[in-house]
Amino acid sequence: MKYSGYKGRVLAINLTTKKTSTIEVTDEFARKYIGGNGFAVRYLFDMVDPRMDAFDVTNVVAMMTGPFQGINSPTAGKYYMATKSPLTNGYFDSVSGGFIGAQIKYAGYDGFLITGKADKPTYLFVEDGKVEFRPAEKLWGKLTGETQEMIKEEVGDPNLCVSAIGPAGENLVRYACVITEYRAAGRGGVGAVLGSKKLKAIAVRGSGTNEVADPEAYEAWMRWYKEEAKKVPGIAVGLPTYGTPALVASIGKMLGAMGSYNHQTEFFQNWENISGERLKKEFWDKDTACPACPIACSKVFSAKSGKWKGAISEGPEYETIYSLGSMCGIDDLGAIIKGDSLCDEWGMDTVTYGVMVSFLMEAYEKGLITKENTDGVEFKFGNDDAMIAYIEKTAKREGIGNLMAEGSLRAARVIGGGSERFAIQVKGLEIPGHSARALRGMALGYSTATRGGSHHDPRPTGEYAGASDRKAVEGKAAWVIGTQQMTTIGDSLVNCHFLERLLGFTLTQKWVDMINPVTGFGYTLEELTTVAERILDLERSFNVRTGIRRKDDTLPRRFLEEPIPEGPSQGMHTDEPTLNRMLDEFYALKGWDPKTGVPTREKLVRMGLEDVADCLIKSGISC
Amino acid sequence: MSVVVAQEKKPLIRFDIKKCAFCKICELSCSKYHYKKFGDSISRITIIRKGPLMFKCHICTRCEKRFCITACPTKALSYKGGNIVVDPKLCNSCGDCVKACPFHGIKLHPETKLPIICDLCDGDPSCVKDCPKGALSLVWLPEVRK
Repeated sequence: MKYSGYKGRVLAINLTTKKTSTIEVTDEFARKYIGGNGFAVRYLFDMVDPRMDAFDVTNVVAMMTGPFQGINSPTAGKYYMATKSPLTNGYFDSVSGGFIGAQIKYAGYDGFLITGKADKPTYLFVEDGKVEFRPAEKLWGKLTGETQEMIKEEVGDPNLCVSAIGPAGENLVRYACVITEYRAAGRGGVGAVLGSKKLKAIAVRGSGTNEVADPEAYEAWMRWYKEEAKKVPGIAVGLPTYGTPALVASIGKMLGAMGSYNHQTEFFQNWENISGERLKKEFWDKDTACPACPIACSKVFSAKSGKWKGAISEGPEYETIYSLGSMCGIDDLGAIIKGDSLCDEWGMDTVTYGVMVSFLMEAYEKGLITKENTDGVEFKFGNDDAMIAYIEKTAKREGIGNLMAEGSLRAARVIGGGSERFAIQVKGLEIPGHSARALRGMALGYSTATRGGSHHDPRPTGEYAGASDRKAVEGKAAWVIGTQQMTTIGDSLVNCHFLERLLGFTLTQKWVDMINPVTGFGYTLEELTTVAERILDLERSFNVRTGIRRKDDTLPRRFLEEPIPEGPSQGMHTDEPTLNRMLDEFYALKGWDPKTGVPTREKLVRMGLEDVADCLIKSGISC
Repeated sequence: MSVVVAQEKKPLIRFDIKKCAFCKICELSCSKYHYKKFGDSISRITIIRKGPLMFKCHICTRCEKRFCITACPTKALSYKGGNIVVDPKLCNSCGDCVKACPFHGIKLHPETKLPIICDLCDGDPSCVKDCPKGALSLVWLPEVRK
């Protein structure tokens, strides 16, 4: 290939036939879609019938890398997974830290496309262009940590990279995740789709290398990064010292925007008990990092005393402190650490699980469910025993765990009684700990995001930092579009979004300057922005084919109708007319039909996606 | 009986498990320094993780027993200036040195099939320089000979 950072081929793996084939990655394709997000959405749009169920044999799981995996670029020690989500029914991607991304490159591939369904539990062992379908009967039912260890043992390599699902994935919990080491491709149920394919794990090692296009310019960029990173407090001090839990004080206390008691309030009175400062002081064991990342924002924490003494986990991150903590009314960090580690081990997303529990707690307190439904357990806010106990039961779909495995939207439809109003989700995906009421950009962002309630499209960081006025309606559509373009490029390079503090919350020349020395694309900012829009339009087109329209671009009724009742952000929310006003502006700027939210043919053609426009028309969708 | 040879000192890359964050920047720095490429299979240092807190560093320790030199059937390995040196003319790529090293400090290069062993990057180890956590340091210890 003319460009660097690529191996020039993607491996298609069919679990039904146990056959593989390679798909060539051309220079043109690489330049048009970059990698990760861009590659995956193009392949999935072409390969997956979006009307089919996520657990259908025809669904595809993409495991992708971008040009930055395997080199020492800071924050690129990641890998990217995408599929049609069993939670949202739409295109869904999940990015995780892990050296397996680099190993995919070293093994000679830019990514894998996994199709079909194995007849028996299987794991994949990929080594330098050789693929083995190995039996995984004895791994079936095992937790994610033990699964990884057993595979490392079987292969005889303690340094082997393994991504595995837990029992939650096997049992098709709709928010089952994929775990590599201790990090999760957490959201949207990629693990459940792997479970439906009877694929327990993917192990990869390669003896190859990855290189950059212009080593001198790359070194110059690395020197620039090191100097500039020292000047950004978040990257230089906040994240290395406390990790993301530092946000508990700034969001929970200062802003009063940390959802609590299933968002009945956003000011958690006992915020100090679950703060990053307390975690660091009383629970910290050591810093850990994603590969090649000097920030090392991850931490191992353990409970040294108290009810949950002995609980140990890499994490919890801020989102988990929100979901298992303030949302469930739990202020014991020991319980949150225990819950974090159990969710990882059983293989499910901590955010959705915690929000699911808090939803049930509210339903219980409102009398919509009773002890009869909960196997006699008092499902009240603050009950940490219930939160912990139901992780395993959800993974095994036991008792009410069977309903919890479906996520809050589907559970609300079963429970009824108007509970859908307080199911804290968008398009089926539970909302994380960044307020849709206190941050106007997140209100519009969650509504329009391909994934639904995800804090990665768009990002809240710019509004926290004051780069965009969090209360403003004017200009918010342009801001949200800008941050979504940035995260899409981040996910295509498969780089961490924390780079935003350094390179810009929206795409800037600094992003271009990072990409060109590695790839040799010679992008301009204009071309990079077009790539981002092309990828986002493809995601939207995929979702449009599943039936998603403007009517689905909305928020939970609670957020539209109830302002934050107390604290520093008291009175704030985005009501329906305001959201509609922002949406009108958003679609107009995007070049999407304002009535339907479908990308217009004119826009698709401008993005070089004429075939996509034709496909929509063929599917009976006017664009 | 052991005697300390005062004039002779041996180098050691010291590993601080408390500080290491498992970022593997050392591995990528090593491969870049020696081959101008990035890859862990061509790194002379390897960090292994076993459990949340248990990390191990695999690298040549310049051990006093010199298991690799003893194991080499073609006498391709020798100890010179603080490093194990490979004579590519004598080496038959049998891998006995790799198996003999209890510190897992030797790998065979995937292409040349020659042993690759830490050589301190001409006295200024790139892994030590690039470790963002200060978990690696170069120390000189008294050489102990039997």
